[in-house]
Amino acid sequence: MSSLQLEVKQMIIDALDLEDIEASEIDDNEPLFVDGLGLDSIDALEIGLALQKRYGIKLKADSDETRKHFASVNALAALIQSQAEQ
Amino acid sequence: MTALIPLSDWLRQAPDQPVATDATGAVSRAELLARVAHWCQVLPTRPGQRWAVYHQDTLEFLALLLALWQQQCTVCVPGDDRPATIERLQRRVDGFAGQYPEYLLPYQSNACAPCSMPEWRTLSPAFPALEIFTSGSSGEPKPVLKTFAQLESELAALEQLWPGENEAVILTTVSHQHLYGLTFRLFWPLCRGQLFERDACQFTEDIYRRARQYPQFALVSTPSHLGRLNPSLDWYSLRPKCRGVLSSAAPLQRQDSLQVSDLLGVPVREIYGSSETGAVAWRAQCRQAEARWAPVPGISMALNPDSTLTLRAAQISGGSQTLSDRVELDPDGCFRLLGRTDRIAKIEGKRVSLAEVERVAEQHPLIKTAKALALSGRRVEIALVAQLTDQGQDHLRGQGKRGLARALREAFKPHFEPVALPRRWRFVEQMPYNQQGKITMDSLMALFHQEETKWPELISQAATEQGAELVLRIPAELVYFDGHFAGNPILPGITQVHWAAHYGHQLLGSGGVFCRLEAVKFQQVIFPESEVSLELEYSAEKRKLSFRYYSDRGVHSSGRICFN
Repeated sequence: MSSLQLEVKQMIIDALDLEDIEASEIDDNEPLFVDGLGLDSIDALEIGLALQKRYGIKLKADSDETRKHFASVNALAALIQSQAEQ
Repeated sequence: MTALIPLSDWLRQAPDQPVATDATGAVSRAELLARVAHWCQVLPTRPGQRWAVYHQDTLEFLALLLALWQQQCTVCVPGDDRPATIERLQRRVDGFAGQYPEYLLPYQSNACAPCSMPEWRTLSPAFPALEIFTSGSSGEPKPVLKTFAQLESELAALEQLWPGENEAVILTTVSHQHLYGLTFRLFWPLCRGQLFERDACQFTEDIYRRARQYPQFALVSTPSHLGRLNPSLDWYSLRPKCRGVLSSAAPLQRQDSLQVSDLLGVPVREIYGSSETGAVAWRAQCRQAEARWAPVPGISMALNPDSTLTLRAAQISGGSQTLSDRVELDPDGCFRLLGRTDRIAKIEGKRVSLAEVERVAEQHPLIKTAKALALSGRRVEIALVAQLTDQGQDHLRGQGKRGLARALREAFKPHFEPVALPRRWRFVEQMPYNQQGKITMDSLMALFHQEETKWPELISQAATEQGAELVLRIPAELVYFDGHFAGNPILPGITQVHWAAHYGHQLLGSGGVFCRLEAVKFQQVIFPESEVSLELEYSAEKRKLSFRYYSDRGVHSSGRICFN
C-alpha cells in the first residue's frame, strides 16, 4: 500500500472521527459512500473541508466530478496527486 | 409589499413570467403549465384520492402537485423514497407518482399524452392540499394535514415579516420533500413570482459556482452546509449579489452564523418551526450574545407549566399545537430553547425517533434489547447500546465488532436516511441498570466516553522536503494536563518533544532509533486552549530533527532530537 493511500485513510478516519476502524482495514478500491465504508452526505462535506485544509485542494464546482473523486481512497489519492503535479 | 398569488389559484392568476431556472436557463410559466396539463391527462385519479409524490426535480414535483390538486387529490409528501417509507405509504395512498420504481406507478412513465390545456379550476381554501410526515416520539411517523388556507396563511405571515425583494434567485441545499424546503424554496418564491433553482446544491462549491451566475441570489440552507462552507472559496466576491441567507431544521451555532454573515454580507435568518406548525419564530445572531427567537407575525404563544409552548395561529393544523421543546419565555414574547421533552433527536436537521431506532434494532435476530441515544461530538450522531442474542454473540465472535456493526447497519438502511443511521455501537453483556433497576442516560453515555485526548488539533500544516510548519490548537481536555499541575495546567515539555517526533516522522520521514536530545530549552509555558505554531526541520545527513514551538507570545520551546 502506498503511503499516500494510507495518509488519505488516516485523514478520513480523523476528519470523521470514525470508530472501530483502522486505516489498514479500508480497502483502496472500496466505495466510501452508501455501500462499503457507508459514509453519508455530511461526511462528504467534511472530507471536502479536510482536503482543503490538508492538501490545499479546491474542489471543482461540479458535483458529478466531485462524486467521482470521492468514490474511493484510490480516487481521492489520484485527485491529490493530480493537484500536486499542477 | 408584493401581493402573493394564492397557491390555491396559482394556475389561473400567475403572470406570464419565468418560474424557475436551471443550467440551461429560465423555465417559463407556459412550460410548467404544459407539464401540469400532461400530468392531468396521464394520472388515473379520482377526486378525493390521496397520492404520494416523490421527485428530485422541484419543477416536475410542482407540476405533479398542481395536476393532482386540479384533480381534487391530496398530495402525500414523504421525506424520502426508502423501502420502509414506500411500504408504509402503500397502506395509506391510492397512487404513487414521480421517481418511484416502475411497478408502483399506475401509469406509463414515458406516456406521451396529446396536450390540450384544461380549464384550470380555483381550489377551495378548506381543501386538504398536503399530507406530510413527522417523526412521532412513539416511533411511527405521523401524518400532518395542511389545507390551502393553512399554507397560504403561513406564506402571508412570512411575507409580512420579510416583504419585498423578489429579484434574487433562490438557491438551496434542502429538499422540497420536507416542509421547510417546500415552503421556503418552492411555495413562497412561487407565490411571490421569484425565480427558484429546480435542483438543490450538494456541495458548498455548487452554491458558490451557481451564485456567481446570477445578478442576485438568496440561499435557503441548513446548519449542515452553513457550518461547513469551504473558507478557501472567494465568498467575499458574492457579497454584492447576496440578498439573504435562511437557515432552519436545527439551530445554527452562533460562530457559524456570524461567519456566514461575514462572508456573504447579510445576517443569517434562522427559522424555528415544525411540520405541525410551519415557521414559528426567527432570529439573527448578534456578536454580543446568543440571540433570542422572536415569533413570526400572527402566532400567539402561551407557556405551559412544563416550560413548553402552546401556539395558536391560523396556519397551525388543528388551530393550536404544543411543541416538544422546553423554552425560557421573556415578557416581550421572545424565547430561548432549552432542549426537547421527548425522545426525538435532531441529526443534521432531521428528526429521528430514538424509539423507532430501538424498535428496528430489536426486530433484528442478532439483538435482544437496544437503547438508542444521540451523542454530540464532532457532529451529532445516533449511538446504539445493544445486548445481543446468542446468535448475535456468535456473530460478534466470528466477525468482530466492526463486522457486526456493518451487518446491523445494513438492516437499518431501509428504515432510515443515511445521516440517521447509528454510527457508534456498544455491545454489552448486560444493560447498565442502576440500583433502582433503571437505565439512565448517564450510564449509557458513559459507555461512549471518548478515549483520552492525546493529540493537539491540527489547524494547518505545510511541508517541504526538509521542513514543516504546523499550527496547533492545544485542547483543554488533553490527558497531559491532568495533574500537571493541579489548578495550573501547562503542557509538559516531554509531550512537546513527543509531538515533534511524531509529526517529524509523519511529514518529514525522520526517525530511527532515538539516541539523545540536544539544546532543549523550555522558555515559555503553553496553556490549554492556546494556539501555537510548530516548526520542524530535518537533516537526513545528521539525522537530527530540530523543533521550535512559538506563538505571538514568543518562542515556547526549541531543541533537537537525534537519531542513530
